[in-house]
Amino acid sequence: MSDLAHQSKQFGISRREFLVASAIGGGLTLSGFSLFQWLKGPPLAAQTFIGKATDYQGDLAGLMRRGFMELGIHESAVKGKRILLKPNLVEPHQFSAHINTHPLVVRGAAEAFLSLGAASVIVAEGPGHRHDTLLVLEDSGLGDVLYEDRIAFHDLNTIDGFTIPNAGGYTNLSTLTFPRLFQEVDWIVSMAKMKTHHWAGATLSMKNLFGVMPGIYYGWPKNVLHSEGIIQSILDINATLKPHFSIIDGITGMEGDGPIMGTPIQAGVLVMGKNLPAVDATCCRIMGIDPHQIPYLDQADQWLGPIRDSLIEQRGETWHSVQAPFQLIPEIPAHQNIRLG
Amino acid sequence: MSPKKSNVLHAISTTISQLQLPSGGFPYQVGNEARPDSTAWAVIGLSMVDTPEFVCEQGRAYLQQHQDTMGRVCISPSHPQASWPTPLAMLAWHSSPKYELYEKHASEFLLAFTGNHFPKSDPSIIGHDPTIIGWPWIADTHSWIIPTGMAILALQVAGLGAHSRVKEGQAMILDRQLPHGGWNYGNTSVFGKELHPLPECTGIALQALANDTDRQDVEESLDYLLKKLPTLHTPISLGWALLGLGTWGLRPSQSEELILKSLELQERYGPYPLPSLALLSCAANASAGLRSLFELSPVPHHLSLPQRESFV
Repeated sequence: MSDLAHQSKQFGISRREFLVASAIGGGLTLSGFSLFQWLKGPPLAAQTFIGKATDYQGDLAGLMRRGFMELGIHESAVKGKRILLKPNLVEPHQFSAHINTHPLVVRGAAEAFLSLGAASVIVAEGPGHRHDTLLVLEDSGLGDVLYEDRIAFHDLNTIDGFTIPNAGGYTNLSTLTFPRLFQEVDWIVSMAKMKTHHWAGATLSMKNLFGVMPGIYYGWPKNVLHSEGIIQSILDINATLKPHFSIIDGITGMEGDGPIMGTPIQAGVLVMGKNLPAVDATCCRIMGIDPHQIPYLDQADQWLGPIRDSLIEQRGETWHSVQAPFQLIPEIPAHQNIRLG
Repeated sequence: MSPKKSNVLHAISTTISQLQLPSGGFPYQVGNEARPDSTAWAVIGLSMVDTPEFVCEQGRAYLQQHQDTMGRVCISPSHPQASWPTPLAMLAWHSSPKYELYEKHASEFLLAFTGNHFPKSDPSIIGHDPTIIGWPWIADTHSWIIPTGMAILALQVAGLGAHSRVKEGQAMILDRQLPHGGWNYGNTSVFGKELHPLPECTGIALQALANDTDRQDVEESLDYLLKKLPTLHTPISLGWALLGLGTWGLRPSQSEELILKSLELQERYGPYPLPSLALLSCAANASAGLRSLFELSPVPHHLSLPQRESFV
């Protein structure tokens, strides 16, 4: 982490605010006024929705529409918008429903957004490990659903990119290159799977955005991001891209040695929200994980969003009522000391 | 070659030719700008069929314009670290005497270029040996199977198959072979769990090892790919699986049928990107692997570079 990013993170303020504070702070300190408190304002807060879903055959679109309503997302917010759904398809294998965002969750989200008047819904992913994205669609079952529903799919690994300054400053990358397709959509929706992760502790909507970084620029499996640091890259991508919404498939999640080699766990929930750190923190609590012990969430707290329980207003179910502690592996360093107390 | 296959291959080459842009380059798919990787695949695919030579020469010229002073060909000028198209450009240039020097310059870059390598750590965490040197997708990152396999192929075609870098690259690929056969992107096990093989990586790895490796050392990988093959319909996995098996003399009799079936999948997913079409075309034409396509071309003598003791 850069010094500046670290300092601004310490105070829970943006880098820009930190620079302003540095410039004018000296004149105010003698007055006893807490400049940093003034700059911070009230702490960030957010709402998340938890909906129960025992399996994938139920009315998932209906559950998501209820979630939109509970979160105050009405037709006026979605009407005419071009929606990009980004599922997690890191390395699908046939008959492994716990690895990827389930195709019926993607279908449900498409239906829910279209029912609110979205102009279009497309699905896009740049699988982390696989060069053959079409095979990923075939193996995951998503190809069947998209074909039946006539929903377009885009391979983010091979799409030409556009480059913008890195707004995070946690990696050494001065810029980040995203798919040009993102310039043609209004909402980017991270549709992750609820999983443990052997390097990051948990992989949810923020980590899922590794998949938007084109392989033609970042390699397979997103080599540049691993080289720069997984935690740092998660923060930079989220700070720069500013995704709009998150839907987590926790109906069947993955516990143990995620994100690929773990085992299925029936958590029976969909979790949704506009603020990704808040959604991910809520998922962690459902998984029996302390979000403050997940380094990227702890760093994101009060910068990209809230992760404190008291600042996340729960709609739908409470996380206590649906908690299903995911198995952690003591030998994996990223799993050590993260269990929610 | 059956009439149906002949007609299909002709249709593929026509489709690819029609994608050529005024710059001489080819796009990844209709509506895109030209890109070096797509252009190289177009030239490789077209040069084996009855295509007007100027189409390929214009493509080679486009690639030459995108070669930088270090000899590499990058995915875009704004991403010079992404030099993974360099082996593809070498293959595209190989059949034209006019581009011998550019191929040589690129081969010199490849021989001097490697990924980040680091001391072997606890094998219970990472299973492979990270000290064995290969090639990365992107500069300053670790070496992986596909870019290493492609670099080996390009250097072999350029007449440098005996170079120590090629030998060490092959050793790297063998080290990354999964205990139960096959390869994935380049990890064998993480935290003690063996990872899953992937057909496209396995095909490329087998091709890079052919002629220099005992069959018994890759028997399980060949078995994996032979068993997997009938289920493969997507162009990248099928194409590389057929080319990989072909280099070991194991191309199955139903290859033609599988390629045609793969092309039919476009009804479901829409037109394939240009590199996928070119790969399928290569798989249809190169029954003994991709390298066999180039063995018909004479190897330029000047490409026999001296061996280097150290290349890190």
